[in-house]
Amino acid sequence: MIEILREGLHTTVQDMGRRGGQSLGIPPSGAQDGFALRIANLLVGNSGSGPLILRDDPGAAGLEITMGGLELRARTNMLVALTGADMGASCNSEPAPLWSAFLLRVGQTLGFGWAKSGARSYVAVNGGIDVPTYLGSRATHVSGRFGGFQGRALKEGDHLHIGPTNSDIQSLAGRHLRPELIPDYDGLRKVRVVRGPEAHLFTRESEATFYDTEWQLNPKSNRTGMRFIGPQLSFCPGRPKYLIKEAGEDPSNLVIDPGAPVGTIQVPSGIEPIVHCVDAPSIGGYARIGTVISTDMSTIGQLQPLQYASFVPVDHDQAVAALKHQESLIDESNILH
Amino acid sequence: MIYDQPIFRTMGDTALNIEFGDETSIVLNFRILMLDRVIRENPPLGLVETNPQVRTLGVVYDPLATTLYKMIAALTEMVDEAGEVTELPSRKLIIPAYYDDPWSRECAEAFGVQNNMEYIAEFNDMTVPEVIETHTACDYWVTGVGFVPGAFMSYAMDPRLRFGAPLYPTPRSWTHSRLLNFGGTTSTIYPIRVPGGGQLFGRTPINIFDPLQNNAVFADSPVLAKAGDRHRYRSISREEYGEIRAEVKAGRYDYKVEEESFDCSSYAAWLKSLGEPPELRDPDATWSLA
Repeated sequence: MIEILREGLHTTVQDMGRRGGQSLGIPPSGAQDGFALRIANLLVGNSGSGPLILRDDPGAAGLEITMGGLELRARTNMLVALTGADMGASCNSEPAPLWSAFLLRVGQTLGFGWAKSGARSYVAVNGGIDVPTYLGSRATHVSGRFGGFQGRALKEGDHLHIGPTNSDIQSLAGRHLRPELIPDYDGLRKVRVVRGPEAHLFTRESEATFYDTEWQLNPKSNRTGMRFIGPQLSFCPGRPKYLIKEAGEDPSNLVIDPGAPVGTIQVPSGIEPIVHCVDAPSIGGYARIGTVISTDMSTIGQLQPLQYASFVPVDHDQAVAALKHQESLIDESNILH
Repeated sequence: MIYDQPIFRTMGDTALNIEFGDETSIVLNFRILMLDRVIRENPPLGLVETNPQVRTLGVVYDPLATTLYKMIAALTEMVDEAGEVTELPSRKLIIPAYYDDPWSRECAEAFGVQNNMEYIAEFNDMTVPEVIETHTACDYWVTGVGFVPGAFMSYAMDPRLRFGAPLYPTPRSWTHSRLLNFGGTTSTIYPIRVPGGGQLFGRTPINIFDPLQNNAVFADSPVLAKAGDRHRYRSISREEYGEIRAEVKAGRYDYKVEEESFDCSSYAAWLKSLGEPPELRDPDATWSLA
């Protein structure tokens, strides 16, 4: 069992998401940085899952810590791994290793400071966080108040059960990710984008500006949407009269709400592109300039407020190649012991 | 505009949108709902989930189990298979609504904009009572469920009574739950407290989304609306709002859902008999759809 001593800014239970919910308006939720959670699960010996909602099994649930501040105490011996953002984690006041499995013994505490690089840390535990599944997943959707631990972010005093383990956790301690695969979250981040369904509504100049700009993450961003501060984008003239009648003059307003899966980038009125994240609406009403490739949603999830990112155009085949490359990295062969 | 052939648009590496047109058309939605049924009965290899909406069918797929090209080929065959739609299962629901309510006004004030109900009336050159009268005067067809858990998109089935108002230029950061709102001519209800850009004009006392599935109507799913449902709004007073809300909270409210089959062919014929609105044949429409 895990006891929460201090909840931090925002900590939730997450796995690799809830599938089948788009047609109910239910988002996938799940880890915002799937790469980090999946590596953490691999390190502690939890059985594998796939990319967000692509597999029946969403994998073991872990904790997603946003920006820091969490402190927890082990009420039993357990094997844990910390991945993602560096929050200067400490185990009983000694520095705790990142991207490495280690034993947390009964009574020991694990504390997190504020994120030095990256925005979200993950805690995986052998056996997984044992909360009831809701529509097939343990992922928390806070605004819908379902999934995870009582459908909410964790609070001081919460006690989380750990799932059963079949493995000898002693023998798994010390497993770590090949060091060259540890992501660097600092500096200008590159986010790959496939051209979107309404890209043709933007002027050529504005579409070029979208890819040339170093955008800054708006601090008002969250797991629903990440907003980017930068130049205003403009639209081609000639909006048909029947669209004006239904939805007004603003050329970014689509008459009706087409599907907007995770990664969709909408640009309401040409101001502040919004990337749909794991808790995002399943549809959107504004022009979609592009879609962030599934692999790079991890990059998006690790951006700090006001950090810079630029969007890089890729085609569909390059996006699939990136996903295949990522899947080859989340593999036992890259775990050293 | 309804396209001659649906356009397949890629959405990154794991999703597709099959787009049938760029306008609100219930007849077009019949084709999408039928296509969705065909896909769900016989899902192509690698299909993860579908998302039927008014003019598009969203598809999420696993590009490691199939390829974009194979998925498009399989779906294209299914578009042909779905063909003309004569009939669809369709449930009928009555939705009580307290129009021009204080919670919608509070949201508008908090966001520093005009009372949305007054804006809707002005935008449509109506009075507030006319807005209420028009919104309760015909059935609304649910073209799809989405946005946030349980939210749905619906449109007046009588095109002569179809109206609405543009979304906010910038979405609000929060909205009270269960507020009726327009985004264009889309009529919907926010099931939970969420951000959003719809123009707010009323509140329903009934639950649109119930994660605890407390009422029998939620036995199979936490979501009330289903694509292909027909909703009829009923204007209620503040007092009746309170009474119904109390019944809903106690789990005693009877949602009175009627299971029926809807004659799509007759509806399409009736629409045709009304004549096509001139706006939809705009000769100035110059946008490229490529």
